Amino acid sequence: MKTIKRSLLIALSTLFFVACSSDDDNQPVYEPAAYENGVLVTNEGPFMNGSGSITYISNDYATVSQNIYRTVNGTELGNIVQSMGFNNENAYIVVNNSNKIMVANRYSFEAIDSITTGLVNPRFFESMDGNKGYVTNWGDPNDNSDDYVAVVDLRTNEISANISVGFGPEKMISHNNKVYVAHQGGYGQNNLISVISGTSVESTITVGDVPNSMVVKDNNLYVLCGGMPSYAGTETAGSLVKIDLSSGQVSETFAFETIQHPSNLTIDGDNLLYSLDGKVYKVNTSSITLPGTEIIEGYFYALQANDGKLYASDAGDFASKGSLYIYDLSTNQQIQDFQTGIVPGGIYFNN
Amino acid sequence: MKNLHYHFILAIFLCSTSVVAQLDSIQQLPEVLLTDSKLVHFSKGFKVEKVNDSIVERNATSLTETLTYNSLIYFKENGFGMVSSPSFRGTNASQTAVIWNGININSIFTGQTDFNVISPLNYDNISIRSGGGGVQYGSGAVGGSIHLNNTYTFKKTNKTNVGMRYGSFSTIAANANTTQTWDNHYLNVGVDFLRSENDYDYVGKGKINKHGQFLRFSAKVNEARRIRNGVVTWNSKYVYSDRNFSGSLNTIGKDAYKDIATRNLWQLQKQIGIFKTKASFAHLYEQFRYIPDSEKSNYDQGQANSFIGGLQTEVLFKNKIRLNGKAEYTLINGNGDNVGDNSRRTLAAVLLLNHKVSDDFNYGVNIRKEFLNDYDNPILYSADAKLKVSDFYSLRINGSKNYRIPTFNDLYWYAGGNIDLKPETSYQVAFGQQFSTGNLKTDVAVYYITSEDLIKWVPKNGGIWEPENISETRNFGAEVTFDYTVDIGKSQILNLNANYSYTKAEDLKKEKQLIYVPFHKATGSISYSYKKLSIYLQGLFNGEAYTTTDNSDVVDAYSLLNLGVDYTFPVNPNIKLGGRVKNVFNKYYENVAYRPMPSRSVEIFLNFNI
Repeated sequence: MKTIKRSLLIALSTLFFVACSSDDDNQPVYEPAAYENGVLVTNEGPFMNGSGSITYISNDYATVSQNIYRTVNGTELGNIVQSMGFNNENAYIVVNNSNKIMVANRYSFEAIDSITTGLVNPRFFESMDGNKGYVTNWGDPNDNSDDYVAVVDLRTNEISANISVGFGPEKMISHNNKVYVAHQGGYGQNNLISVISGTSVESTITVGDVPNSMVVKDNNLYVLCGGMPSYAGTETAGSLVKIDLSSGQVSETFAFETIQHPSNLTIDGDNLLYSLDGKVYKVNTSSITLPGTEIIEGYFYALQANDGKLYASDAGDFASKGSLYIYDLSTNQQIQDFQTGIVPGGIYFNN
Repeated sequence: MKNLHYHFILAIFLCSTSVVAQLDSIQQLPEVLLTDSKLVHFSKGFKVEKVNDSIVERNATSLTETLTYNSLIYFKENGFGMVSSPSFRGTNASQTAVIWNGININSIFTGQTDFNVISPLNYDNISIRSGGGGVQYGSGAVGGSIHLNNTYTFKKTNKTNVGMRYGSFSTIAANANTTQTWDNHYLNVGVDFLRSENDYDYVGKGKINKHGQFLRFSAKVNEARRIRNGVVTWNSKYVYSDRNFSGSLNTIGKDAYKDIATRNLWQLQKQIGIFKTKASFAHLYEQFRYIPDSEKSNYDQGQANSFIGGLQTEVLFKNKIRLNGKAEYTLINGNGDNVGDNSRRTLAAVLLLNHKVSDDFNYGVNIRKEFLNDYDNPILYSADAKLKVSDFYSLRINGSKNYRIPTFNDLYWYAGGNIDLKPETSYQVAFGQQFSTGNLKTDVAVYYITSEDLIKWVPKNGGIWEPENISETRNFGAEVTFDYTVDIGKSQILNLNANYSYTKAEDLKKEKQLIYVPFHKATGSISYSYKKLSIYLQGLFNGEAYTTTDNSDVVDAYSLLNLGVDYTFPVNPNIKLGGRVKNVFNKYYENVAYRPMPSRSVEIFLNFNI
């Protein structure tokens, strides 16, 4: 209904504009929407049936556009939009259940290409040195021995190599020409970081159980591990693992005292932020004590800090439109609240 | 909630002050007997519709198809022939009970019956009972129940029929069925087979259904033997189904599913003085294998055995008061890769009363109490009344408390299962009126259902989903059915049939319509026959249904038309040849979002009646 109203409004104002300025040069009525200088949210979409989508919110909060890929291209992204990665002008949208990556211009969202072969349960995309893309793949989720990282030649958008890795590869971070892959463990649990250089695994680092998120700060990799969940048999507490990237060794491990399962590590300046049991905690990297300071309340599906603000998504009941909340980290107060698509799982900054 | 009861009791009281007979919704030849007689004797104030054999024959692919076109139940199908679940009066998929010869056969694991695994050709009588049937039929009979009954007779019978069907998408089907009686014996044996490549077009999408092949085989044996002062019956059923699961518009199907069910029911019925006594024993077995990748051999599996022993007795005082008491013990053993090894024992005591006050008025009161369960043992009750105001007008009213017990998946699923769940409970009232003058029959029904403690899987901290008794709903709606047969003369008969329902089903916390419950559904048919030739048109309208709990997305409304023709050759053995076109206008439609249903298809059939 809103769209109809809005279209009507646009139609009427166009009419008015045309009527009042018939002497002017004919301006093109449609201007391609620019999705830069804003936040992009990937929405997984309904679990079984349907398509994920991308929401755009401009940095001045004046423009909110839902389903931007479909708006621009007229086609759906596919089932379970898991995540998105970037390289130069391009966005690489990983569509998990449809086993593909859609490539679009990150500012106009016009479709450029797609990668539809060679991906099996793709999870995340990370680019390196301008022409290589790395994609974590679970393979068959019931088979722990077929997991791999696909290497995509970004000039042709074809897979040039597959790197066999331990099971359940998930999030990645690239730093100094290396890709650090966190093995969260797929449907099960794992406790590894694979270090990829070029097209091979250079080393693996054992961390805590279920490494679910990572950030890099001052040549240190901070890995937040959720710990084994209660249904895994032996439940274990979460931990925060600090890895010195010059040596590739774990320099410190901070354990949570009680059996709790933190997630969503992100960083704002010197402060690590993460979520745990319906609260967001803050820990200073220079003096880490867990759990740290409780700053915000809420059950969030994804967290990203950027420029003094915390962006937190809420997936609600996972079967209706979700929300994105923006908090000012100087006051820890919510400053904005936007509707997103269904199951907002990824938050990205498109500046 | 309490108020509802009082209103309902008041209504019963008001009705009982007026007078007058009964008009059974199920017309039954006296010499043909149902194995589940409760459906006839203790459902007078409920709407019970029998699906005619000729209608079953026209929509014989699956019970989903039969009921989609001939009832007001909405079905969600993940593509044609795939998993199919009903929404009856806006209730959820596990709130429609499927009753086989009086026994609830909903899955122990899911609480539902997959309507695409049931062949409608295996039964002598398929009836739809609208409204709560928890007292008689146990868990899940909330929106209503579907009754699959086999009958028996000792009248001289020697009947065999063989049917064959061939249709689009490489679909072949065959069925054979024979019924014989001799001395004091009745025997009915039948088999049924269906197989399809199911590779239909996604109309206008430039794709085909690549991974939706299915196969279904079922067999039945029904036997009855007359003994002194009684009868012994045995009903047996075997079903095997093997399906690849279709993908959706934007995913490619990979998984597959195989399931097997066997059902056996032995009953010994004896007249002891004024007591008509029945001892019964039933065994149900269900097994499933879910194969995540149809090209690989690994799978998740589960199986369950149910043993049900029952003893009941019925007395009829002065042809007016019919009283039935029953005790039933059920033992279920289930195990599966995701639920472990568990069992459930239930003892249920049921008391049913029907009082025929006069030829024109009767009422019933029913009560059920359960014991032994490890959750709160509910007391269920229902009451109903039927009043014949005149020869062509009758009224009925009923009210009931019903429940749906947590399934093994809800309780024991690894990880997330919640053993502290309570049963879902629901209260309802329904009122109906029927006008019937010779060839014209119309029925108008309204109902109101409130449900609480509905089990819903919700995401918990740490990404695990757990079921909780959190949701509350309120459903109300109206159903209108119309049927008119005209004898035009010169051997020509015209039949018009139309059904419409309005369904409002609301989540009371969100104040939104429940997902996959369309407000409007309508079905209709026009049949014309001239001597041995008949032609029919079948129409279906499914209104828009929401697919998200905030009602932000919908699956579009659609209407479909089927056209069929058949001719019976007047020879012996009697041969019937016919065909039909489904989805005549080749429309794109889906009843689950992004799950396309078939393009236009053609089917021909040949039946021999010997």
